[in-house]
Amino acid sequence: MIKNYFKIAWRNLWNNKGYSALNIGGLALGMAAAILILLWIQNEVSFDMFHSKKDRLYIAANQAVFNGELNTWFSTPKPLGPALQAEFPEIVRISRYSSMGPVLMTVGDKKLKGNGIFVDSAFLQMFDFPLIQGNANNVLTNTTNVVITQSLAKRLFGNEDAIGKTIRLDTIDLATVSGVMADMPGNTRFRQAEFFMPWAYMEKLGMSDNFWGNNSVSTYIELTPGASIDDVNKKIRDITIRHSDGREDNEVFLYALPNWWLYTKFVNGKMAGGRIDMVQAFLFVAAFVLLIACINFMNLSTARSEKRAKEVGVRKVAGAYRHSLIGQFLCESVLIAFIGGVLALGIVWLSLPAFGELVDRRLFIDFASPIFWVSFLSFILLTGTLAGSYPAFFLSSFQPVKVLKGTFKRVNAAFNPRKVLVVTQFTVAIALVVSTIVIQRQVQHGKDRENGYSQNNLVYIFEEGLVAKNSTLIKNELLNSGVAESVTRTSAPLTEGWSNSWAFSWQGKRPDDKTVFDRFCADDHIVKTAGLTLVAGRDFDLSTYPTDSLGIILSESAAKAMGFEDPIGQPIQDNGKDWHVIGVIKDFILRSPFEPIPPMVIEGAAGWFNAMHIKFNPALTTSEALSRTEAIFKRYNPEFPFEYSFVDEAYRQKFEETQTYGTLAALFTFITIAISCLGLFALAAYMAENRTKEIGVRKVLGASVFSIAKLLSKEFVILVLIACLVAFPFSYWFMDRYFLHMYTYRAPISWGIFVLTGTGALVLALATVSSQAIKAALANPVDSLRDE
Amino acid sequence: MIKITELQKFYRTEEVETVALNNLSIHVKEGEFVAVMGPSGCGKSTLLNIVGLLDDLDEGSYLFNGIEVAKFNERKRSDLRKHNIGFVFQSFNLIDELTVFENVELPLIYTKVPAAERKQRVEEVLEKVQIMHRRNHFPQQLSGGQQQRVAVARAVVNKPKLILADEPTGNLDSNNGNEVMQLLTELNEQGTTIVMVTHSEHDARYADRIIRMLDGQVLMETVG
Repeated sequence: MIKNYFKIAWRNLWNNKGYSALNIGGLALGMAAAILILLWIQNEVSFDMFHSKKDRLYIAANQAVFNGELNTWFSTPKPLGPALQAEFPEIVRISRYSSMGPVLMTVGDKKLKGNGIFVDSAFLQMFDFPLIQGNANNVLTNTTNVVITQSLAKRLFGNEDAIGKTIRLDTIDLATVSGVMADMPGNTRFRQAEFFMPWAYMEKLGMSDNFWGNNSVSTYIELTPGASIDDVNKKIRDITIRHSDGREDNEVFLYALPNWWLYTKFVNGKMAGGRIDMVQAFLFVAAFVLLIACINFMNLSTARSEKRAKEVGVRKVAGAYRHSLIGQFLCESVLIAFIGGVLALGIVWLSLPAFGELVDRRLFIDFASPIFWVSFLSFILLTGTLAGSYPAFFLSSFQPVKVLKGTFKRVNAAFNPRKVLVVTQFTVAIALVVSTIVIQRQVQHGKDRENGYSQNNLVYIFEEGLVAKNSTLIKNELLNSGVAESVTRTSAPLTEGWSNSWAFSWQGKRPDDKTVFDRFCADDHIVKTAGLTLVAGRDFDLSTYPTDSLGIILSESAAKAMGFEDPIGQPIQDNGKDWHVIGVIKDFILRSPFEPIPPMVIEGAAGWFNAMHIKFNPALTTSEALSRTEAIFKRYNPEFPFEYSFVDEAYRQKFEETQTYGTLAALFTFITIAISCLGLFALAAYMAENRTKEIGVRKVLGASVFSIAKLLSKEFVILVLIACLVAFPFSYWFMDRYFLHMYTYRAPISWGIFVLTGTGALVLALATVSSQAIKAALANPVDSLRDE
Repeated sequence: MIKITELQKFYRTEEVETVALNNLSIHVKEGEFVAVMGPSGCGKSTLLNIVGLLDDLDEGSYLFNGIEVAKFNERKRSDLRKHNIGFVFQSFNLIDELTVFENVELPLIYTKVPAAERKQRVEEVLEKVQIMHRRNHFPQQLSGGQQQRVAVARAVVNKPKLILADEPTGNLDSNNGNEVMQLLTELNEQGTTIVMVTHSEHDARYADRIIRMLDGQVLMETVG
């Protein structure tokens, strides 16, 4: 019996190649889109879930009230980890984690940059990053031990055994390779790490401190088996308060590993989502795209019902029960879903690298895993059943008396299921279009925002190797040779906020004021270099005013937050130094273009420096300025490769995440629209065919081609309008809930978006339908009326 | 074999109720060949559908081989139908996607006849209607007469006691029509009961008895 079903299904497909191609193609496209999204989701939810101790691993977090709001953050002071382990027996292991940034690694003539991390020696015992060579218990015991990934080992040492070999780090120390570990998997929060060094080395470099107010590293905790996290959290709550003698007032708690990746957002002390929002949103999208493809299948199948009606009648007369016919049609749709699924797998396989790059994840299909095949086959079965359910029940319901006597005519009722399907399809498509436009406008909104400084001809270079030591020489040469108009050393790139603090004190500060200020340092002429706008006072000018090394430039909102009527000359204490205000600038965007700009304090030459900003002489071409700058840097810092970044490019990267969502939304919207139009086209063809007789009569009675085309198109216009009515409020809610809430500085969802989308949908629907309508209207009525 | 008494059948739309069959009684004995004639709309096809259990009746009684089937549900009707009744239609109603062999095989599949036996029985019946040489062709590759012979083969492959034919020659030229009538007569001679609806006086002459209908009632019966 089953054989018979598949035989007839196959012949049906084969004999109607065009229809089958539309049907299978649409389904394959929808399935491929859904599989891509599901692979991404699977990757997101698997983050760090492979550690065998995952149920006992925690990250230390802080909570404290700032200006009436309970804030939560995950960076901790360096002494926290050791103190926790020493004081609480439930805590077996701890590891602090602090990025070294890119480090220049030299082996013989080979020089390359690797991403290094300082960790405590227990790190590799807590987390499952298997060592290929070396023992996790002792690879990080010596101060200058280094554990490198397999691919880094390959890049540094080729095929030689790396163990025991030495690497020069940043031209300073020699580190000895004590272990080689497998490359970091793509689904771990530590995936950027290329080598680990012991905390003791950080201490040796003088970069560690025991200050309980400096929240600068992550602290990971392993509990004993069976320890109660609630009890532990009760006990450790006041550890920072105790150790800082009450100077710090934040409470400490441990946050469980399974939540680290997806649930990272806290609002007023309560967990409030995070990446999980995007996962849910795209799960919606995957379901939608698949639903659309299934609806397409239903439409195309039922539209051909007249063709199949006779077969149903004959089979029933020959003794088929209704359920065996339902079974037959379901077999057929599962077969089609299977072909579509195989095709979809091909599409996914081809597009996965590009898609992975787009979402910045290493996505792959584990063809060797039985779990993959079971889920893939279930997916096909689900799709086939979903897509085939309505056609199966619809087709099997035909009564043989009617279909076999040729009196079979479908009624064109106002409410028929196929119209409902089209409305659903268009609702989803329109909602996706609205979402895409909202995302794109949000990106544009951020880009259009006045950033407060000038990024033209501005590059920055990190101070590596000898740059800091030779900074004055480099600076002078850049200025004297006419390469640069202005040069300023800064604590961080102008596009990144590296430091903030509530510890500033000034005259008249209320004791409970915990306003957080961005802290930035610039040695000289920052206003000139960055093209900032002064509203009071002046720029740093060390040659004229040597005391400017302890000067401060405030942003307007900082001056306001400190309550200064006349800010110039006001003393401010920070980091044990006495500073004084010399200027006030208009606010500029240091961090996110989608958030309010926090108040900002720029400290003078007595601060600390990591980068050099160079404003090129506009008379030079960029390439000329760059090559001359490179020559100067090569002279003063010969060991390091010359690497620079344009500030405007760095700024553009702030939009990348949002832009990625936009690109993804656009991609899936396009697929949805394509599938919907396929369905609409088929439906219009069917309706036109179904109404040939009516059209014939109307033409005989004198109707014009235009009036008939209008008659046939009108119906679809109504369907699209209904879809708009459903889609608009839904997409408004959806985007507000899942997307815009991530941003404080938002592009409002204006009615213009809806007008635009609605018009677009109508035009597209009309274009799809009208070709069929006109074809039907042009047909010779004699042909349609003859065979009655 | 068929005993229908005081049969009523209505067609209802929102406003009008049309009487299709009005107080109609007929009796067909086993082995009989009955032709039903009458003008378009007299209810002869409706009667055939009711006899074939494709349609239900509103009032009256229908005894098939002595069993009351008027109140049978869809499933029971289907069971009775597939074991006892074969159909031949004016428009052949072959499934285009199936070959001649597969079309004829279909009723045997639904009555769960084993594959080897199916093959044997299909071939037997195809020989009988002289279409064996076309067994692997699809319906569109055959002439109308050949298609109707396949349809007849399909109707008889299950060895039904009753064959219902609805204008079996209506789409055929006279040569092909005669061939099909010849086939039906042979089947009748071998013991199969046949009820045939027809417009053709010529075809009706093959029957033992002619029932003439008008406006949902039996007008007269003539024995051939």
